[in-house]
Amino acid sequence: MNSRQRVPRFSREPGVTLPRFRRIAGFVSFAFLFCVSPVFGQASATAATDSTSVPDVKCVIGVKDVKPNATGVITVQGDSVRFESGKKKGQIRVNQIQDIYLGNESRQDISGLGGTAMKAAIPYGGGRILSLFSHKVEVMTIEFIDDNGGYHGAIFVLPPGHATALKSLLVSKGARVTQHAEPPPPAEEKQ
Amino acid sequence: MKNRSILSIVACGAALLLAGQAGAQDKAAAAPTKLSASAIQIGRPEASPEIVIPEDFRVATYENVLLQLEKTKKFQTVYRIGDRRADDVKDLVILKLVPAKYTAGSQKQREVTTVKGATSIAFTVQFLDKSGKVLLEKQVEGKVRFYGENLNATYDFAKKVAKVVGESF
Repeated sequence: MNSRQRVPRFSREPGVTLPRFRRIAGFVSFAFLFCVSPVFGQASATAATDSTSVPDVKCVIGVKDVKPNATGVITVQGDSVRFESGKKKGQIRVNQIQDIYLGNESRQDISGLGGTAMKAAIPYGGGRILSLFSHKVEVMTIEFIDDNGGYHGAIFVLPPGHATALKSLLVSKGARVTQHAEPPPPAEEKQ
Repeated sequence: MKNRSILSIVACGAALLLAGQAGAQDKAAAAPTKLSASAIQIGRPEASPEIVIPEDFRVATYENVLLQLEKTKKFQTVYRIGDRRADDVKDLVILKLVPAKYTAGSQKQREVTTVKGATSIAFTVQFLDKSGKVLLEKQVEGKVRFYGENLNATYDFAKKVAKVVGESF
């Protein structure tokens, strides 16, 4: 009879200790996971901030193949800025950008041909009261050159709070910008 | 007596006819000769320390002028400033836009008051040949008086530039 007691490999019984190398291996693997997981986390965060898209953007003018005053989605992805309005698409490569300007404006809540006709139809000048309602917008102007060296300019009207982030993202991707005075905030917002 | 009156009527008629012909000849002589070019290059609106025009207005002016001149079909090619392909064109005309006036209006003021808040933008439009000689110079103004966004002034300006091109080329 063998008097030597055999220690089970995976014992959950109290008082039974695992061999030393198993404890070290467990500690090393835990340390590895602890070190590696933030790296993956960082990578996914970068991927999340590497691209962005803003809906309800009006392209006033300047994007090839897109009609003036078209409304659509602007996307910064990879090395380009894309504007998509229905089936029409246009893009500007980041390395073509020469400068980016930001501005603030206000737009009428009721505008366009239908809105104007409606305002005119309200009796006793009631349409003028509707004209008092407006909302703030941000205007982003991108200057860029094409492959032949021709100068282009594109104007986008964005909902408030997006233009600065878009500009920062484009600058981080290598878009050129020159130092110029940022426009003052609208009169209503001055303190 | 009757013969005299007939003679005087004929003489008056002849005098009027001659005067009319002379006037028509003067008019023909005064009419400017039309310019001709196969291509035009649009320059960017210049920056001026006295007249500060917002960048979106300058860009919108440039792009609208380009679109409107393409629509006139007076030129085979409309080049952008900086386009290297324009260097090889012999009879190239260069369009230069020198700021003359800018009034920042307000859409809200326009729509509420109808008499205030007009936006206007004016440039001295120069057509130059390759050597820099001024072929034609005119001041053109674009406005938004009643309805529409401020940037529509640049569209109005571009339409007027296209009209000048239509008359002169």
